[in-house]
This record gives sequence, C-alpha cells and structure tokens, in this order.
Amino acid sequence: MNSNALHHIGKAADLSAWREASIATILLVDDEPVTRAGMAARLTRLGYRVLEAENGREGLEVARRERPDLLIVDWVMPEMDGPTFCEAMRRDPLLKSSHILLMTAHDQPAQIAEGLARGADDFLSKAASKQEVTARVLAGLRTSRLVRELETTGSQLESSMRLLQTRQAEMETDLQSAANFVHSMLPAQGSLAQGISLAWEYQPALTLGGDLFGVAPIDAEHLGLYILDASGHGVAAALRSATLMTFLRVDNMLQLIGSYDPEKVLFEANRRFPLSDEGDYFTLWVGQLHVPTRSLSYASAGHHGVLLNPAEKPSRWLTRPSSPLGFNPASVFACDQLTLQPADRLFLLSDGIYEASSPTGEPWGRWRFQQAVETQKRSPLSATISHCFTEARRWQEQCEFLDDAAVVGLELAV
Amino acid sequence: MEIKERAVPHGTILDVVGDLTYANRAAFKAAVDNVKQTGCRHLIVNMEQVRFVDSAGLGLLVLVSQNFKQLQAQVSILKPQSYVREIMSLANIPKMIPIYESEEDALIARAA
Repeated sequence: MNSNALHHIGKAADLSAWREASIATILLVDDEPVTRAGMAARLTRLGYRVLEAENGREGLEVARRERPDLLIVDWVMPEMDGPTFCEAMRRDPLLKSSHILLMTAHDQPAQIAEGLARGADDFLSKAASKQEVTARVLAGLRTSRLVRELETTGSQLESSMRLLQTRQAEMETDLQSAANFVHSMLPAQGSLAQGISLAWEYQPALTLGGDLFGVAPIDAEHLGLYILDASGHGVAAALRSATLMTFLRVDNMLQLIGSYDPEKVLFEANRRFPLSDEGDYFTLWVGQLHVPTRSLSYASAGHHGVLLNPAEKPSRWLTRPSSPLGFNPASVFACDQLTLQPADRLFLLSDGIYEASSPTGEPWGRWRFQQAVETQKRSPLSATISHCFTEARRWQEQCEFLDDAAVVGLELAV
Repeated sequence: MEIKERAVPHGTILDVVGDLTYANRAAFKAAVDNVKQTGCRHLIVNMEQVRFVDSAGLGLLVLVSQNFKQLQAQVSILKPQSYVREIMSLANIPKMIPIYESEEDALIARAA
C-alpha cells in the first residue's frame, strides 16, 4: 500500500475516544502491509485520523510534514528499524518531543530497556487486545498533549521574554537619550572666565541622575552657580530635577525675579517646588560670584555639601541650618557673603558622595571628604576630585554609588 | 528596618529599628498609615534605634508631620542618635517636628 494513505474517522467507539479523535492524528510506521492495515482499521474505528508509512524514511517525512500527535512504530523493519527510527526522531529539533509507541512481538526486559534507551516512550505488543491498544493510545495521547501544551507555554514565555527585552532596550535607549540631554545642559569643564577654572565628576546611580549642577555667566561680571539634590533617585527624581534645572536657568531667573540673588532664587524656588505627595523635595545651594572682586554671596535650602578650600587656611563648609525646598512655604533664606582669595577652591557636592556607606553601614562622611581635598591641595583640581571618588569607592568597597554622586570644583587662579 | 507599634495614653509610639531611607520608605509609610487609620492624635516616632536617615527619610518625616497637622494631630520624634540629630538639625526639622528625650516628656508636652 502506498504511504500516507489517509483514513478518516469512522464511527466512534466510545465517547473518550471520540474526544481524542476530534484532534488526534496517529502515524503508523510498519513495513508489513497486513499488520499496518489491521492496526489502521482498528484505530480508525476508534475515531482517530490515521496516517501510514511503510518504512522509517517515509515515516520521518510524514512526521515532519504532519506533526502527528502519536507515532506507532514497528520494531523490525528493513533499512531503518524501530529503535533507529526513534533515534532519528530524537535528533530532529522539530520532532524530538513526539510521543512514540514501539510495537514489538517481544516483551523481554533487555529489549524494552534498549527501546526506551534509544528513544521510545512506551511499548505496544503486536498481540495486544483492543482494550490494551485503546488504553495505551489514550495514555500516549494524553502525554503528547501535555508535552505540546508545555511547548506552547514555553514558546509563549519565550516570546513574552523577547518582547520584554525589546521594550527594555527601547526604554534604556530613551533613558540614555534623556541622560545625554541632561548631560548636555551641564557646564563645560575648563576655563570659565578671568582666571576661574571648573572641573567636575558625576556618577548617577542610574543612567539618568537626579542631582544636577550649573555654572553660568549672569552678566559680564557675575557668575551664577548652584547644585541641587533631589531626594530619592531614579527616573522620577531625574525628571523633577530637570524641571528645577530649567527653572534655574539664568535667563529665566532674570525674567522672573530680575536678578540671580541667591536668597531670592531660593525664595522663588521654595514657592514653586512644594513637597510632593510622596515626600519628595530638593535641597539647593545657590551662589553668585562677582568675578572682579571675587566676592561670593550664597544661600542654601537644606543643602550642606559646599566646601570652601582656601589655599592657605583650613577648609570650611559654607552652610547653616536651613529648610530644604518645600518643607516650609514661609521659609526665608539667609544670604552669606565672603571674598575668595587667589588659588582658593570651592567644592559643590551631592550627598551621594559623602553618604556612601561602608559594608558595615558607616557613611563616608563630610569630614572624610574634607580630609581628602585637604591632602590634595597641590594636585590639579580634576585630580583632586578624582581622588575623592576613589576614596569614596574604596570606603564603600564598590564602584557604583547607590545614590547620585557629584563633585563640582571651582578654582581661582593664583 | 523593623517597626513596632505601641499604644500610649493619648497617642501611639512607632519603635523604628534600622535605617530610615529611600529603600525602606514603603514600610515606614505603611506603618504610619496604619496608625493614622486608628484616628491617633499624637504619633511619636521613636528613633533611638535608627542609625541613619537619608534625604528621602527626612522628606517622609516632614510629609507625615504635615499630614498629621492637617488632621489637627501631631508628630513628635523621640531620642534620635547624634548623627541623625545633626542631619535633622541641618534641615531645620526641629522647627517643624518637636524632638523629645523621653516618652514622658513627649506625652506631657502634647497634653499641655
């Protein structure tokens, strides 16, 4: 008989067989036409869709084309016997999970073991009764269905994973481009104006940071400078910070309050950036430097990370107790003033650097930062800042910071 | 971070153990919400066992204090460690949230 002969469903033998038959396709691989026809008729009567192949090679072709739910394969066949056919099936990525019943006239344990070892799932005796054939076929089809469901679920999971990976990659690209935008708003390093140089190092905890800073000319004689620190970190903090950064642009301040006077800038910022419903807020330090006289006026809204590092005197923190933005709508911010000297350095830093914690939980602390810059007075400004980062990383025994870490340094020429 | 709730006359004490930080904010907020739902008029945050408060932790304390004030209730802080006290002082927290050295002082001050 030619291979692939198709026998359609006959009268259903029973309800469960009928249920199986509604979807089940069985491939018979046997070189003996009489045995094959007998089994095919039996299975057809049970309600299955039956495909036939007269040797292993044809069996593999039909299996690849039709993906049957179950295969019943004779052990003894010329060219490719049953166990060899099973091995070929298991090597094929498309067919390897197929359920195979090996049909044999023998039931010796050694033979059964060999058949199982070479890829068969179960055995069917050629002398099996109608009831046994029905039971083994039903059991095989149940297993086959479970395997296929698992494959489908696995494939759905894989495709969901691919989708998630794609989305994540898109989000990371978006974050990177937002980070690039924010980075482009940070001041350029090098010579600022008339003997004042600028260097900084910034390591956000994530791609996009929430601690930002700015240094920009207000007019021909004044420089405006600030550092802001958003509570928390991550994308939400970064977005809020970018908003405040835009608000703090010199042209915006001149338009809103007519100057860059630190206490007025803070008053206006405090009015416009209240504590959020989640308890998020900013600390902000603002300074205004009159370049010809080196006179610095400054005010702080809860930001305590600004250190004056004079060339010839001990360094000191330029801060006093003050409320962060949004803590108290009625806050008034005091402005202090000092005159910088040649070779003085001013460091603006975010708390991410001095709150870097050791493995035992002890923060690096402002005084260790102060020590680090004191010992580096003779080093170039950028090297001093790098040294601080190195020391903080050494303290926390890891390279990445858990919060945004920024150190900005200004140096007056000798 | 571990937080235990204790009822005291006319108030509730939250005994906080661990760091009050960005990473622990959800647990702290949940504990405060529980207390708020009881209609508590005086929440005392016992910070004796809190070693570190970061900027997010400070923001939460202020937010909780503002929310309680809106309900005509009060938040007090109890026995902060020196480092935490310094951080809070620099941010002017004592001007917004009273700090006490003993439960009795906190309860008397509220009653007065």
